[in-house]
Amino acid sequence: MLYDLRHSDARVRWLVTLLLATLGVAYVFGAWMVGMYAGFTPRSVAATYVEPSMMNMAMPAETTMVVEHDVTPAEMGREPQHQVDGALLIQDTHVHVPMYGVIAAMLSIVVLGLAIPRWMGFALITLLFAAPWLDFMGMWLTKLVSPHFAVVTLAGGWAMGLGYTIVAALAFWRMWRPEKGAHQ
Amino acid sequence: MKALILGAAAAALLHITPTVTLVDRSEVVSRLLAGADRFTAREVHLTSSDERRLHDAAGWTPPDDVITFYLGKRADQVEGVLVFMRVDSPHGPMEVAVGFDKAGAIRGVEVTKATVETKPWIVEALRAGLTSQYRGLAVGATPAAAGTVKGKVGTMAEYMAELIDRGVTHAGAAYRLFYR
Repeated sequence: MLYDLRHSDARVRWLVTLLLATLGVAYVFGAWMVGMYAGFTPRSVAATYVEPSMMNMAMPAETTMVVEHDVTPAEMGREPQHQVDGALLIQDTHVHVPMYGVIAAMLSIVVLGLAIPRWMGFALITLLFAAPWLDFMGMWLTKLVSPHFAVVTLAGGWAMGLGYTIVAALAFWRMWRPEKGAHQ
Repeated sequence: MKALILGAAAAALLHITPTVTLVDRSEVVSRLLAGADRFTAREVHLTSSDERRLHDAAGWTPPDDVITFYLGKRADQVEGVLVFMRVDSPHGPMEVAVGFDKAGAIRGVEVTKATVETKPWIVEALRAGLTSQYRGLAVGATPAAAGTVKGKVGTMAEYMAELIDRGVTHAGAAYRLFYR
């Protein structure tokens, strides 16, 4: 253990508490946004990243094609599927990956102050960094290789939530658990 | 420091505010396809030459080269056709629903989506009676409803009215070239 969060200065513990609370709020709204735009099923994630022209058969260049199908009023009222094209995914990757790296690093610093076995520390730090890698690798593989890779993105998203939950739970417990016999 | 302030100002100016729904699409369907008891989506996937034809006619190309017409039917007869058009502006996108009757004239126009920033301007234009100007307009006619609210509303509302005109023009061109 490089430092002990439990016995650190109260200001450090307060900082970590506020950091984890802030990240928690960000993750809740992140999940909400994912639910709104990409969904939580492999099918909806694939529909977000695989552009229609890639999902459908190649169009004959010389004929405009007309496809008709019955719809219900509810289907007509449904929002069109949010699409992330190549340009937007480049921009998303450029913006999100550095920030995910910084967040993973901050959570890893919290991990270093936890009284947990060395192997568990390695595992948690690996999980924190692997999650965004899986998330974005899944998006690119879904777009470029196969819609089946949508599960990788979903795994990345859940791994991100899991990593944060474990670190936050351990840190809060470690920092604010009452001392045994403190009131005796 | 000056560059930083200018950059921040530019970012603030270019920032697009979140989308707000002015009217639910389902409400629009019940109003602009009134009387229909069955609905069909007709997706027209354009070739590059048809896309060019549409661009030459209306200065617009649809996203993903697909136009979706919603047909409202009663006893297997088409009662009306509805198209949702997205119109982009530096202040964010808006969605305009344009309904056509059996004869191909405009039955009604509604703005379904705006942004937090544009909503008050659009509402101002709508309150000035903008959309009633489109009713009965023949499909080939050029919409000029924005001109009727000019002077009655603020500058930004006038601009929004022009964008709505543009959405109706796009819908009319799509209907004329690829529905009929």
